[in-house]
Amino acid sequence: MTNRGRTLVGLAGLALILAVAAPASPGPKDPGYAKAFSCSACHGWDGASRTDTVPVLAGMPAWYLKKAIQDYAAGKRPASEMEPYAKMVLQLGVDDVANYFAKQPKPAPLPVDPAAVERGRAAAAPCAVCHGATGKGDPAKGVPDLTGQPAGYLKNQMLLFKADKRSAGDPTLSAIKALMKGIPDAQYADLAAYFSSQR
Amino acid sequence: MTTVSRRAFLRSSGVGVGLGLLGGCAPAMKGDFAPKAGPRVVVIGGGWGGATAAKYVRLGDPGIEVILLEPNKQFISCPLSNLVLSGVRSIDSLTFGYGGLRSHGVRILHEAATAIEPDTKRVRVGEGYLQYDRLIVSPGIEFQTEQIDGLAAAGDQVLHAWKAGPQTVELARRLQAIPDGGVFVLTVPPIAYRCPPGPYERTCQIAWYLKHNKPRSKLIVLDANQNIVSKPGLFRAAWKDYPNIDYRASSKVVKVDPSTREVTTEFGDRVKYDVVNVIPPQRAGTIAVQADLVGADKRWCQVDHVTYESVKHKAIHVIGDSTIGIPVPKSGTVANAMGKICANAVVHLIGGQQPPPMPPVNVCYSWVSDKEAMAVINAYRIEGGKVVQIEQKLTPGQSQAFGQNALGWFHSIRNDILG
Repeated sequence: MTNRGRTLVGLAGLALILAVAAPASPGPKDPGYAKAFSCSACHGWDGASRTDTVPVLAGMPAWYLKKAIQDYAAGKRPASEMEPYAKMVLQLGVDDVANYFAKQPKPAPLPVDPAAVERGRAAAAPCAVCHGATGKGDPAKGVPDLTGQPAGYLKNQMLLFKADKRSAGDPTLSAIKALMKGIPDAQYADLAAYFSSQR
Repeated sequence: MTTVSRRAFLRSSGVGVGLGLLGGCAPAMKGDFAPKAGPRVVVIGGGWGGATAAKYVRLGDPGIEVILLEPNKQFISCPLSNLVLSGVRSIDSLTFGYGGLRSHGVRILHEAATAIEPDTKRVRVGEGYLQYDRLIVSPGIEFQTEQIDGLAAAGDQVLHAWKAGPQTVELARRLQAIPDGGVFVLTVPPIAYRCPPGPYERTCQIAWYLKHNKPRSKLIVLDANQNIVSKPGLFRAAWKDYPNIDYRASSKVVKVDPSTREVTTEFGDRVKYDVVNVIPPQRAGTIAVQADLVGADKRWCQVDHVTYESVKHKAIHVIGDSTIGIPVPKSGTVANAMGKICANAVVHLIGGQQPPPMPPVNVCYSWVSDKEAMAVINAYRIEGGKVVQIEQKLTPGQSQAFGQNALGWFHSIRNDILG
């Protein structure tokens, strides 16, 4: 076999592997396809945000996106840029939207500073108790997946929890927030970089 | 008039390579220069609405041929272009190619549509024409220069910079060349016009530049409207940082005279300037007016709220700034939303299906300095076949965090349109 032939076989094999590895992406027939139009202006085409402060919706577990929409609409997560849209998505049908994004392939994480990742890894033990060593979370306990989310978004959310501005007064989160108050603000950038780098 | 050849079309639309046509001597084609082989959508205008629609028709049904008519070879974003005036951003950072659309199979012809023939379902391009099953018209706005005495004759001496491009760069140059102590006059047209908060964001950017670079200069804003049109409370709060702004409501400019460097309001007030920026009154893009898509006002196009089909001509859809009657602003976000919804409706209609009712969304970020922004957010629903607003919300103020979100929005929506 010629080198070119071997290369072509290799490429064909790679294509097959990629085709098998990629989750089936829902198309225009999906009931959430058009409803998700509402989200892509900010969260990116098919929810694959490539922006540091805007979360990735592609591949987000449906239960968590649904909870987030409900919390935004109810004001538990105060955000002027999300509250009207959350109400709109509830009217459109949050299950369709959440299921649509859950079926989208998760994009590769945005690049982060490797040194910050290592510092974050070393400091992540308190988070791992609930979120797991790599931040995959636990749906059975309502613990979200942090992996692959943009670092800027993760850092902002952690600081909102620390300041009790997210899910304010929620008794199930009071112990976690107390723990978070002991972590200096600067360290949240490292933690965010670490979880953002994980898949 | 241009004559579009089959060869030129194949070359500019990104197809035909390998067919042996590029090296040939195909004569200039008149008549139907790209005969239709299957269902076809023609899109007029490759801005925020049209480019989105072209992409999403292909995403919705790759079996539909999409031809986009856009004279410009590059896409230049109007959103963020006020930051070019202040020197915070470059025009290059807002300039993008159409390669992403080609990768979705959109055939792009960098020519202007010269006429629409609704009865024969044809778009004229130069001396030839293209047949369509459905036409999406997204021509943006055109200026009513005739409404300001002296404006047409002034030519490039008086700039609008309301379509991002060379005028934006030139207005930035004139701002930067203004003598310290000089007067910049900005005029705001009566509603409806493209980008309601845009003139007030521009006010912030010019004032920010002058404050930091020409501290003895001032900015006079002559607004044809009775008050700030969008986010008035937030803008007034932002302007507290800019004592160099002299804002005058109900000051419609009706005359400009470059020889005396003076504008005149409808009440006869004369205002001298060193640099002037006249944002003229506006209407739908010329092709929409010529094709009889505008209403009795002769300015804007009324459409069905679910399909964006013209109320005047079947199988022709109008999206973006040219539309009126839907309770949404003429914004980039709305044009992008209309592009997606209209494309989905067109795919359904060509497939003989009922289009699902889908409401648009809006967010308008406004930059009040080099780093801080604020926003208005609108959510909608469809009720009885009409778009109605669920809620409008403002950010609680301006901040660098909202500036970061504004950049995030820009990155994401650009990818949604062109990626």
